[in-house]
Amino acid sequence: MIAIANNLIQLLVILLLAPMVDGVIRKCKALSQKRQGAPVLQMYYDLFKLIQKESVVSETASWIYKATPYIVFSTAAAGALLVPITTLVPSTQLSGDIILLFYLLALGRFFMCLSALDTGSTFGGMGSSREAMISSLIEPSILVSVFTIGLIAGSTSIYQMMRAMTEVGNPLFHPVFILTFLAMLIIILAETSRIPVDDPATHLELTMVHEAMLLEYSGRHLALMEYGAAIKQLILMTLVANLFLPMDQLISFPGVGAFILSIVLYSLRVIFLSIIIAITEISTVKFRFFSIPNLAALSFILSFLGFLQYFVLGR
Amino acid sequence: MDSYFDILSVLILLSSIILVSHKRIKSYIKTFRIQSALIALTAGIMGWNSLMEEGSFDILVVCVIIVLLKVIFIPRLLHKTYGSVEYKVEKDFFLNIPLLILICCGLVVFVYFSVSNISGLNEDHLNLQVVNSFSVILIGLFFMISRKWALGQMIGFLVIENGIFVTAIFSTNGMPFIVDIGIFIDMITAILIMGIMVMQINKQFDSININKLKNLKG
Repeated sequence: MIAIANNLIQLLVILLLAPMVDGVIRKCKALSQKRQGAPVLQMYYDLFKLIQKESVVSETASWIYKATPYIVFSTAAAGALLVPITTLVPSTQLSGDIILLFYLLALGRFFMCLSALDTGSTFGGMGSSREAMISSLIEPSILVSVFTIGLIAGSTSIYQMMRAMTEVGNPLFHPVFILTFLAMLIIILAETSRIPVDDPATHLELTMVHEAMLLEYSGRHLALMEYGAAIKQLILMTLVANLFLPMDQLISFPGVGAFILSIVLYSLRVIFLSIIIAITEISTVKFRFFSIPNLAALSFILSFLGFLQYFVLGR
Repeated sequence: MDSYFDILSVLILLSSIILVSHKRIKSYIKTFRIQSALIALTAGIMGWNSLMEEGSFDILVVCVIIVLLKVIFIPRLLHKTYGSVEYKVEKDFFLNIPLLILICCGLVVFVYFSVSNISGLNEDHLNLQVVNSFSVILIGLFFMISRKWALGQMIGFLVIENGIFVTAIFSTNGMPFIVDIGIFIDMITAILIMGIMVMQINKQFDSININKLKNLKG
């Protein structure tokens, strides 16, 4: 019972927090350019406004086009159910493992690519081919880094992995985890279409990847797609925050207070990570599209070296 | 204390792999500078330990020399050489960059299998540090043969030297002072000569692409 309640609370927290992450990143970027920028809560207003508007659907579009926003949103929300935000309370035993999580997100992405092809617009096709390329390039490094942590934790269940990481002490001072941490940062940038891979703020036809796929959507559908993307971003950040920056071992007292404190600490870590992402966005430029394999190879080798260090250390 | 050295050895290995993934000479120099700073930090921690335990400050002196030489002097020299060269981005490689990075990965695996057979290195931390720092040597060598421009090869040489120094310092807790000094003086002579040669090559052939050295000039 407690486990189910915990899962619902975690879903709620992720749904509520997801648009704010975007706001924090945008605010940091605006401050770095000496602008005041949009308020942190801007994305909530945007989503609220979009949901009230009607959505225009092209006449040639098939059912895939209409179903995709719901699929994207629901796969992201189902993913949010799988990622524990606190390790103090056990999650439900039903909850799937990290492989299911990544392939749920991949399902949403697959439908997004299909729907972009569906209406037959040129930008959609371009965007989905690019998205497919990026995701297939980054997938090996996701799997290797996830399996490395799973190997050390002795389980692929996300909750067990997070439990195991709380016992490591400070993972960033461990040769295996620092490498997987850096690999995961590159994975977040690539998966959530952040600047070295894709620029989320522009609609320049030559460079856009994620926006090219959303170009045809409007109104409620657009809101669902954007919300789904924000949730996916927060899921990946939750993984990094709870795997590599665990703080739950610091809380020594039991009870509801500990649970609330743990969630507060979690939100602080997420904000910290979004500031890191914002700094990366500020200090790098968008790569040429054919330079992305270099970044993906770097991410792969980071995770692979982490895997190798585990064997060298002999643990 | 061992865990700090583990992290530092991993970061040094990482910086050499990042070096391979770069295309711009300016980034080469920057990465080399960061790698040298990490090595100076390693030597600094080790020197501080030996000062506290044995009262010898050899390694601290070596650390200061590294900071002066590799973090400040040589990168500045390289920048000067770089300023006199016309083209700034290396465009054609023998292999593309993802492949280069994967080959580096293979080198690390190779080092792991060859080093793990050496008896006496089987202690966990030492094994890790020696694997990482030995890979830096091979990656430096590989960097040298993968670039066509003479400046890249200078940096490859410096990375090899860094790798040798790190391997020595991790496996022996510091070499005799006189050996270190000898190596540094050799290195600085080599770099000065190479810098002058790069400028001459650039002047004679209008490029520092070493493939063009095959062309005859009257």
